[in-house]
Amino acid sequence: MRLYKLALTTCLAGAVIFYWITAPELIEQDALPEHTVNLTNGEQMFWVGGCGSCHAADGASGNHKLLLSGGLTLDTPFGAFVAPNISPHDDGIGQWSDLDFVNAMIKGVSPEGKHYYPAFPYTNYQRMPVTDVLDLKAFLDTLPPVAGKADDHSLGFPFNIRWGLGLWKWRYLDGQSFEPDPTLEDAINRGRYLVDGPGHCGACHTPRDRFGGELLSSYLQGASVLEVNEHTGEQSSGWVPNITSDDNGLAEWTQEDIAYSLETGFTPEFDSFGGSMSSVQDNIYHLSASDRMAIAAYLKSLQ
Amino acid sequence: MKILSLISASILCASVSVVTTADGHGKGYPFKNEIQARMNVMNLYGYYLGELGAMAKGQSPYDADAATRAANNLLAMAKLDNTTMWPQGSDNSVPALDNKTRAKPEAWTTYPEIVDKHKALITAATTMAAEAGNGLDAVRANIGAVGQSCKGCHEAFRGPKLKGHSH
Repeated sequence: MRLYKLALTTCLAGAVIFYWITAPELIEQDALPEHTVNLTNGEQMFWVGGCGSCHAADGASGNHKLLLSGGLTLDTPFGAFVAPNISPHDDGIGQWSDLDFVNAMIKGVSPEGKHYYPAFPYTNYQRMPVTDVLDLKAFLDTLPPVAGKADDHSLGFPFNIRWGLGLWKWRYLDGQSFEPDPTLEDAINRGRYLVDGPGHCGACHTPRDRFGGELLSSYLQGASVLEVNEHTGEQSSGWVPNITSDDNGLAEWTQEDIAYSLETGFTPEFDSFGGSMSSVQDNIYHLSASDRMAIAAYLKSLQ
Repeated sequence: MKILSLISASILCASVSVVTTADGHGKGYPFKNEIQARMNVMNLYGYYLGELGAMAKGQSPYDADAATRAANNLLAMAKLDNTTMWPQGSDNSVPALDNKTRAKPEAWTTYPEIVDKHKALITAATTMAAEAGNGLDAVRANIGAVGQSCKGCHEAFRGPKLKGHSH
């Protein structure tokens, strides 16, 4: 009987701890700073964040990237993730408060209190100061509302259990906002913010472990293409390049080469970007020349 | 023991031959001429664009005659009818062509989309050829459109790099 009681207590304690670890964590309203919106900065955050590359219709370019109807599918080993509508329509984020948006971007939690899957790169977006997130929300609110909900994700067990994401976040979401490193030049710090934070370069250029978390010991050192062939379900044999200044990476690229490639899409050999980097470059084109140079300075500083 | 080492020796031989075949050194593969020819065309595009790009990037001084010559060459290359370099079945979904080509089957399955995308290159190269002699700013203003046309095809029809391979 005593053993039975002990077992029951242990189970209960375990359940409480599991609940405590996996329950979505939220930012409270009074933690939001007073902030006067800067739409110009919001637009910059939109482009560096690459929102339109996933949340606009598949293959959208130019002004069509501002129509955030959702619908693009990422076929991964975990299943198919479908990017939702994030336009300011009732089918998108039209009814969201600023706080809803901040919690989505920084905590990966929906207004209904559910965990988002990390296909939405909140492990990177959590680095953004709340003020940049609020500016981005204000910019999204100026875009055309688009009706229509995207399909749901299509995931196999156990990845379809959203509660499990609480454990995932416990392991991979550190809750740290970006802090400039006082020992680095301003430009490198700015680049580090853009790359590590909103730019989420590591989402493709850093390898992942079997749970889909980024292997930070190999940060930006190149990775297998995560997506699988939508017809065969087989893992792609493709490789996303190393973008550190390593010999296997951008050692032979100057800082100017990197900035120029982000401006025009041309590599130093005057090959062009392709695949999903083509859309990324279209986004980065909208940044200032100094921000592109800052990104390049940071990448060149990575060994 | 003898049998064991015989077996391991033959396994070693087998794996060596597999490696050699997969690597393709000294071996032919389907559409080798066509695939190599079209990669050479791409390299030449890069060569002429590089002459213009070096000026645009400030790595070499602007020279109106040199810019016009490079742009004219690029346009002439773009206008070649290279249909025979793109035979059906020479894409990266063909197991024998793994590591040989990055051309995706969509280049054929979505035909004639690739023709439209190629026309965008001819249009951009035509403008560049007409403008390249009119100053450095004209080169800079038009090289972006050429890049967009390159990316148009490479986004849709070129697969990713493969680990450890330069192309």
